[in-house]
Formats: sequence, C-alpha cells, structure tokens
Amino acid sequence: MVKKIIKALRWLKCPSLCSGLLAVVHYFSAFFNAFSGSNFQRKFEENIFKALMIISAFTVTGILIFILAVIFLKGFPAINLDMLIKTPKGGYYLGKEGGILNAILGSIVLGFGATFLAVMVTVPVVFYLNLYLKKNSRLALSVRFFLDVLWGIPSIVYGAFGFTVMIFFGLKASLLAGIITVALLIIPIMARSMDEVLKMIPFELKEASFAIGATRLETAMKVVFKQALPGLMTAVLIAFGRGIGDAAAVLFTASFTDSLPYSLFKPVATLPLAIFFQLGTPFPEVQERGYASALVLTVIILFISILSRILSKKFTRNIIK
Amino acid sequence: MEFKTHISVKSLNVWYGQHQALNNISIDIPDKKITAIIGPSGCGKTTLLKSFNRLIDLQDGISVNGQVLVDGEDIYSPKVEVMDLRKKMGLLSQKPQVLPMSIYENVAYGPRIHGLKDKKKLNEIVHRYLKESSLWNEVKDRLNSPASKLSIGQQQRLCLARGLAVEPEIILGDEPTSALDPVSSERIEQKFLALKDKYTIILVTHSLRQAKRLADYVIFLYLGNIIEHGFAQEIFENPKYVKTQAYINGKFIEEHKINRELNLKGTICPDNFVKAKLALEELDSGQVLKIIVDYEPAISEVPKAMEYEGHKILEVKRLNKTDWEIIIQKYDEGYII
Repeated sequence: MVKKIIKALRWLKCPSLCSGLLAVVHYFSAFFNAFSGSNFQRKFEENIFKALMIISAFTVTGILIFILAVIFLKGFPAINLDMLIKTPKGGYYLGKEGGILNAILGSIVLGFGATFLAVMVTVPVVFYLNLYLKKNSRLALSVRFFLDVLWGIPSIVYGAFGFTVMIFFGLKASLLAGIITVALLIIPIMARSMDEVLKMIPFELKEASFAIGATRLETAMKVVFKQALPGLMTAVLIAFGRGIGDAAAVLFTASFTDSLPYSLFKPVATLPLAIFFQLGTPFPEVQERGYASALVLTVIILFISILSRILSKKFTRNIIK
Repeated sequence: MEFKTHISVKSLNVWYGQHQALNNISIDIPDKKITAIIGPSGCGKTTLLKSFNRLIDLQDGISVNGQVLVDGEDIYSPKVEVMDLRKKMGLLSQKPQVLPMSIYENVAYGPRIHGLKDKKKLNEIVHRYLKESSLWNEVKDRLNSPASKLSIGQQQRLCLARGLAVEPEIILGDEPTSALDPVSSERIEQKFLALKDKYTIILVTHSLRQAKRLADYVIFLYLGNIIEHGFAQEIFENPKYVKTQAYINGKFIEEHKINRELNLKGTICPDNFVKAKLALEELDSGQVLKIIVDYEPAISEVPKAMEYEGHKILEVKRLNKTDWEIIIQKYDEGYII
C-alpha cells in the first residue's frame, strides 16, 4: 500500500513528499523493531518526532526550491541585455521593448536608503532596550509589545499612512517618501530580530566589561556590538529583503515612472511594482517580462546577502563562540 | 594579630526582590592579604564579592542598604563614580570571559577606555601585564589573533592581565579556578601568592583545600550570615562554632526550617505535584515545604516542575528503599539565586 503511494508520488514528480513519506516508513519500521525493547515508548516518541521534523524540513526546502525554479524557468528565457540596461518604451512597462533599468536602480536606491534609515533608528533603540533598561522594566516590555504589533501591520497600511501624511503636508509621491515609508515598515522587523540577537549576548560578557570600569556606552560599542555583529547583519538582511520586495508600501508613496531615479523628490520606479504591472497585463510577452523582473529582484537579494556574509566574516574573527 | 583594613563592610543587607541574600554583614578585610570567602553554595558568597565593586547593581530587583568602605570612603554614597570604583578592582569570574577582540586588545581595553591613547605606553602595559600573569611567552608571537582561540587556562590568565592593566588595588576572584584543569588552577594559585604583596586579594572559593593553601584570612558565610571570620590558621585549626567545624570537616548537613510537611505517598504524577502546589500556595514567600513521595517519576518530575514555577528546590533526599524527601522553598517573585 505504502509502496504504491510512493510510486504514485514518484510519478507525480514530487520529490519532497516522496522522501518525507519514505522517512515516515523508515521510522515506523524502526519503531516496530523497538517494540520488543523495554524503552519502546520513548523510542517511539523519539522516532515519530524525528520523522515529523524531517518531513517539515523537506517540505519547506522543497517549496522554496519550487518557487525559485518557477521564477527561473519562466523568467530566464525572457531576459536579455536590453532589459537590464534600458528604460521601458511604451509607458509603465506595458510595451515589449526597452528594459527595466529604472526599476532595478530605483529598487536598489530605495532598498538601501530605507535600510540605512531603519538602521539609524533601530540600533539605538535595541541597545537602549538591552543595555540601559532592566530586563523586566515596564518601558522595555511595552516597547517590545508595540514593535510586535507594528510587525503585524500589513504593508499596504503603511503605504496608506505614508500617503495620508504626504497629502497632509501637500507633498507629491517621491523617492524620499518611499524611503521613509519602507523604513517605517522594516523598523519593527529589524528591531525585533536585533533585539533577540542582543538578548543572547551572555550577561557575563557585559559584566566583564563593566568590571574594568567601562560605561554602558563603551560596553555597547566595543564589546556587545562586536560580539553581536553577525546576528545584527542577519537582522539587517532580513529587513532589507522585506523592504526591497514590498510593492504595497511604495505604490502610493514612491509611485512609478519611466525615468531613472535622479532626485529624492521625484517619483521612482521599483521592481515589485514593475512585476505587479507586467503580470497584470493580458499579453503573454509582457507577463514573461514580469517573471524576468522577479528573477532580477531575487538575484539582487541573493547577491547582496551572499556579499554581506562574505564581508561580515572579516569582522567577526574575534567573536567568542 | 592586628591588620590594616582595606575594605570595611558595615551592616550590609542585600535583597533580591523578597529574598534576603545578605543579612547584616559587618566585616573588615585586611590590606595586601588573601581573604577567602567560603561556605555552601547559595550562601551569598558571590553577592558579597560583587557588592565590593557594585556589580550587583546590574541585577534586577536588587536593593542594598548598609555601608561598604573602601579606603575609608563609602562606595554606596551617591557621590562615588562607579567607573572609578570598578577601576580599583580587577575581577576574575568563574568562567573566564574574554572580550571579542584580539589578545592585545583585550589587555589594552581597560587602559584605553580610561583615556590612554599613547601607542608606546599601551604596548608597554600589554607587555608588562601579560608577563605579570605569565602569559607573555605563550602569546608573544600572536598578539593579534583572537583571544577566544586561547585555551581556557590561558583565557583566565588573560582575564587576570586585563584586570591588572587598569592598575587596581584589589583583585576579586569569584571561584576563578573552578572551570580550569588542575595545572592551570595551580598556575593561577601561584600567581595569587605572588601578587599578594602588591594587591589585596579577595577570593570566593568552594574548595576548602584551595582556601587552606592560599588564604591568610577566612570568612565563613552561611545562608547570608557571617558565621565566623578570622585568620586562616585559627579557622581551620580551631573553629569556634559548630557549623564552621562541620563545614570544614566536610560533614556539613544543610538543615532547613520546614514550615509544612506533606505526605504524598501513594499518589502519582501529576496529582502529587498539584497537591504540593496547593500546599505551597498557602505558604509565604521564602517558607519551606517538605514532601515525601514514593512514586519514582516524581523524583525528577516534581522538582523540575517546581523550578519551572519559580520555586527553589533545596534538597532531594532518599529516605529508604521506596520513599524520597523533596524540600521546596517558595518564591513568589520567581527569583532564583
């Protein structure tokens, strides 16, 4: 029976489910072998949970690989050099000619700008929470609670909020407005991940620094920061990926344009919106270009995270494992 | 025998939340001698040590009253700069804690934050104190490699060099050899003996043999109280109090004042846990409950669950073939020291 199911799955070309099921079968048989032993119940639990973990791991990686494969298979044939070095011809990507250079550059500028702004705000907040406030201080608990709530707010709400503020001040959609809105969106994400990283720093390490007579600021900058750098870097990357890939927050605030980003106060094009527009058209050729844009966005995020990991290795050789 | 006093503690009380960790401590600590603080675990040795350089300020829910005079100045008065105070004392912790920097930077960290920028002088200081903690020969070729790559014994000596580099008057050791192998421990002990001409050394130790080898002066703490203090010879050869005698002879039996007893023989998990919990709820924080169980899983499960609830397990003892005794102290705030 089980073999039949596996055969069917193999036929369906579903490797993750197939191997997951194999693992279950394997561990069930292990359980039955263990049945005769005296500790059979404990072994049974161990094996069941191990099997569940293996299934989940395979499923998650499988889905991820599946997404990447779809983007690559659909997007790669449509990519050509023109797409990467030219601006669109035919208004907001709807033509089949020209490229998405404006959106590539726009997204990079917007992503870096927003991440930079968010880091400027977040780092002081998390260091204050973890080095200056006591563990159970009411202020720290409420700040963490609000950050958690903000994390859950959908990005379109941030976009709408940014839009309302812009109208209130009589401003038009611009790169700056986009940067500020995306920064607001990613601050809670960055802050909570950095917070968890700093919580993991052993108390004894801070104590060692204080014992020499260091102030909290010196301890934060010279000891805790160095020790936490890889974790902080990951937090920045998570936030960057989230920020550069968000369409809803920039829809009203950064707007869209066919020209390259040249001013902080002019609208700017972004890749998520390019994908959104291109996939929304009824023309298959333009839709394919949408997948190509998605591929470009994915590659940018991948490239930046690999690069920063290589760079961070240089600064983290002294950390205590 | 008379001695010159370096640190003088006057009726010091320390609370962690509701729990009183130190109870009316008054003691004079001699200058340029090794003072050992001994006592069973959880008796407040480390708290007393850390009250000297105000590291206990960093703990949550701490309150302190009383005086600690260092060189005649009360360190808990608001005028005192904590940074300057801590500079006067080098700390060696239980587990050597190097900073995430190179070996050189670890030693230079202290002088640097206290304002020394001259490269030449820094080099000199690093050289001098690495030599003083007898680490120089082992690391002179790799001063720029990460400190975390050193062996644990070397790390503790590096911590010593780091502490000495700010030119303190006092060295505080919180069981500094407990994580080290015998050879490294021996080296640290030798170092202490060599340094006691120049520094006042205060050592928390759970090893009586170490206290015997090193100490000139001994303080015996028990449940937050000083039971006895005096010169090492006196304490070890002629202790005045029964408790000290018992502890020094290794026959120390912890006695707990039991506020309530509960016989839970014949109950299984989690019934016994729930019954014990209900009984604890009637007690005040800090009071002690004794339960007797005969269900084998309860011996590990009940203490685990109680600790999870924030209570403190004082003792798990076998009474006879079937019965076990578990002694639990209630904590409302969930502070575990």
